[in-house]
Amino acid sequence: MKSLSFLGRIALFAMVGAFVLVPLAQTIMTSFVSTLPRAGIAEGHFSLINYLNILHSPVLKEAILNSIIYVVLNVALCLGVGLPAAYAFARYSFVGDRQLFFLLLVFRITPTVVLSLPIFVLFAQIGLENTPVGIALVHCVFNIPISIWILEGFIASVPREFDETAFLDGHSLPSFFFRHLVPAIAPGIGVTAFFCFIFSWVEVVLARILTTTGGKPITMAINALFGFRTDFGLVMAMTVLALVPGIAMIYFVRNHLAKGFVIRT
Amino acid sequence: MKPYDNRAWFLALPALVIVTFVGILPLVAVTNYSFQDLFSLSNPYWVGVDWYRNIVISERFYASLGRSFLFSAIVLSIQLPLGIWIALLLQRSHRFVVSTVLVLITVPLVVPWNMIPVIWLNFINPNIGLAGRMLAWLGVGFDYKFNALHTWIVLVVMDTWHWLGLVVVLAYAGISSIPPAYYQAAAIDAASPWQVFRFIQLPKMKTVLSMAMLLRFMDSFMIYIEAFRINAGGPNSATAFLSLELGEEIQSFNYGPSAARSIVYFLIVLTVAWIFKAATITRGPAAMEPAK
Repeated sequence: MKSLSFLGRIALFAMVGAFVLVPLAQTIMTSFVSTLPRAGIAEGHFSLINYLNILHSPVLKEAILNSIIYVVLNVALCLGVGLPAAYAFARYSFVGDRQLFFLLLVFRITPTVVLSLPIFVLFAQIGLENTPVGIALVHCVFNIPISIWILEGFIASVPREFDETAFLDGHSLPSFFFRHLVPAIAPGIGVTAFFCFIFSWVEVVLARILTTTGGKPITMAINALFGFRTDFGLVMAMTVLALVPGIAMIYFVRNHLAKGFVIRT
Repeated sequence: MKPYDNRAWFLALPALVIVTFVGILPLVAVTNYSFQDLFSLSNPYWVGVDWYRNIVISERFYASLGRSFLFSAIVLSIQLPLGIWIALLLQRSHRFVVSTVLVLITVPLVVPWNMIPVIWLNFINPNIGLAGRMLAWLGVGFDYKFNALHTWIVLVVMDTWHWLGLVVVLAYAGISSIPPAYYQAAAIDAASPWQVFRFIQLPKMKTVLSMAMLLRFMDSFMIYIEAFRINAGGPNSATAFLSLELGEEIQSFNYGPSAARSIVYFLIVLTVAWIFKAATITRGPAAMEPAK
């Protein structure tokens, strides 16, 4: 009886895995196939031509670089302002703390399409369009709340005596943050960076409206590949490349993914 | 009890400044536009609440609202139970199985949103797609372009593929925070698996599950890029959700009407957030845990 339920469970997990992987498998397969007639390569056969084409395209390489710049900036910003704020929420109560938390909740769940026109109008006026910096800033609107929630959960699980001991040892607040708190909640920082990374990496509505003429990230570069005769192999190869950093991050945080969601309202 | 200290504001201030800059300020700026007719941005013409009236009296708006609600309801009623079930099974599994399943199931979360419909259109293409050819071989006349039901099925399956991982991760986070003592106590009382679920696991998962529910509700309610790419709101507006109309209006640079629509949608978001807050606060004491 016990082994039966075990087998059933494994079968279910296998089905879930197949459900996730099969649509992706086709994408990966297509990325290794030449999908346009080309001299010397049989159409529909295995080939690395799509990846070589990316390597030889300055536009696509620049897009990859733009994506990396904005996402790294965004994660750094969110961790930088999220950590002190999360500490404040975890350790103190202050006037308006619930209201501030509610405000963060509202902006976390506001769909990007609702904010896209307002942000476009404002950012065009102050010259923050067509640059990775603009995207990095804009994505803070949903990533700062995320970073504060996750970090707050991790900080709250550290006993208060830990802080007090450090302060008694003569640490200032910044030195306590870097020397004690950050190492103590390192997995939390990893999980936070992971979630900020994925939500920023996959977002396209704001990224599109802010990069109409330049500074395009990977997602918009892929959009630009669609045309009269779309090279689907190239599109899929770019998609596969766009997945690599995310999957690498999942792998690094796999054992901590499910921790630290102590969410307060 | 946490000490009361207003100096904590200084720690929260940088976060608030950025959120104000990219969230509140743009909304304030655009509120202004929603009362004007802007043929170009330098030529404003005050029209008062005309744009708002157009939205509120249009039948299209209510039709889209209804479709968005239906879509969210379907998505939630599939993804939440399925996610909880998978998380419950994971909880009884070996550590290695757990991390493998969690890694696999979160992979779709890192796919850029504009590529998700491309991947799925490729997958269900009747000529080259694995699923498309399979359905054709089985003799199913699958036509997501012109059959509204089929478009809906594609959207729901695609959304489940995309987001199930988030629900599983959150549900599993809730389950794995339950101390073993609870299960031991349940075993002593000879509780059935259903009772364990109903009286121990579900209450303990309440906070993370309500979060999962809120996130899934809002994201499916305002589904945009994915739905647009699959069938552009068709066939015959059968999948024209709220966001698609807003997106359309922004694309054609109708500043005034799209500003008004943005504000209306933001008010919907605000209402949902407020209901969520009110609903979770009444259950507050149960969710409060002694510090772990």
